[in-house]
Amino acid sequence: MNSINTDTAAMNRIADILDKKRDMIKLSLSACVHCSICSESCFKFNSNKKDPTYTPAYKVINSIGRIYKKKGKLSDSEYDKIKILIWDKCVLCMRCYCPLGISIPSLIACARSVCREKGFYRTYDETADGPEI
Amino acid sequence: MIKAKRKPLEELFDLTKGFQRILCVGCGGCTSVCLAGGQRETQMLKTDLSQLFRENGKSAHISVFVIERQCSPEYISDIEDMIKDYGCVISAACGAGVQLLAERYRSKPVFPALNTMFVGLDRSTGLYQERCRTCGDCQLGYTGGICPVTCCSKSLFNGPCGGTNINGSCEVSRETPCAWNEIYERLKMQNRVENILSIHPPMDWTDKGPGTLIQSGYESRYIKK
Ligand code: SF4
Ligand code: SF4
Ligand code: SF4
Repeated sequence: MNSINTDTAAMNRIADILDKKRDMIKLSLSACVHCSICSESCFKFNSNKKDPTYTPAYKVINSIGRIYKKKGKLSDSEYDKIKILIWDKCVLCMRCYCPLGISIPSLIACARSVCREKGFYRTYDETADGPEI
Repeated sequence: MIKAKRKPLEELFDLTKGFQRILCVGCGGCTSVCLAGGQRETQMLKTDLSQLFRENGKSAHISVFVIERQCSPEYISDIEDMIKDYGCVISAACGAGVQLLAERYRSKPVFPALNTMFVGLDRSTGLYQERCRTCGDCQLGYTGGICPVTCCSKSLFNGPCGGTNINGSCEVSRETPCAWNEIYERLKMQNRVENILSIHPPMDWTDKGPGTLIQSGYESRYIKK
């Protein structure tokens, strides 16, 4: 479990991150026409039986989209869900193609920065050990 | 993936003791996975370094930021605004990530927080083993999936050398398995021993300049006719 940051300094840093990326986030969220073309280029989507929660657009809208709309003021359980979406369901391989030129990895990276400030991030010793080989 | 280990704290102090404002930049890629340079480790570095500064009667303002992948220009621009306020940067990425930061932010000293160790595999949490030296001419197809460059003490391409102990260990140490014995056993199991009966030409180690890789299909984009 990560330690959760509730201090105002962290919230200020989050506001700062969102402020710097405001134009990109706003434009991307409004430009997405939900065509799902991005999903075809996402190997995570394709290798997970085309589960719609792996669709790049879904990951963006439900991570940075939610964070942006609520100015980062989400509950811990919401941050926990976002963490799964942007770490377990995206590896930031930058292979997703959006015909409108939306940079999905940049948006997900931005959501990760916010989550990190909030104390939600993937630690690579939290999963159970793999089998002995 | 790339595996790394934190440098001794004293070395990092020595590199940065002349600075009052230090930005510690973690990497969300390989060095997070090997528990050397992710969010938590970079925060620990900040705590430990601040303590050492205090013990030496100095004070420094140290901040932490994690870039998702320091080897990618796409992500390193995230610190562009921030970096102006710091005298130097400590990067907890692999050597490639450190160099991209140093190249992008030329006027700032960028110091490595880690020693980049090898390309390796995850045996368990916090336990990694070297398995590839990125030789550029992978032999695994002939050697039963065991790397002779990494696992043979002499990096022989046509082994064994003749020094294999009777228990299958290497002559350099009885604790070290002979890679070529393992290669032979693996190939025998797969009925492929003929794979190592022909002589493989020596690797050309002479080209020591930094390598560049252009994937096929991208030649026209990067190679000027
Ligand atoms: S960056 Fe993420 S969303 Fe894009 S293709 Fe890779 S895994 Fe899929
Ligand atoms: S900068 Fe180095 S450690 Fe970070 S993702 Fe790239 S290769 Fe891995
Ligand atoms: S032969 Fe060994 S060092 Fe060379 S590429 Fe293959 S695994 Fe890596």
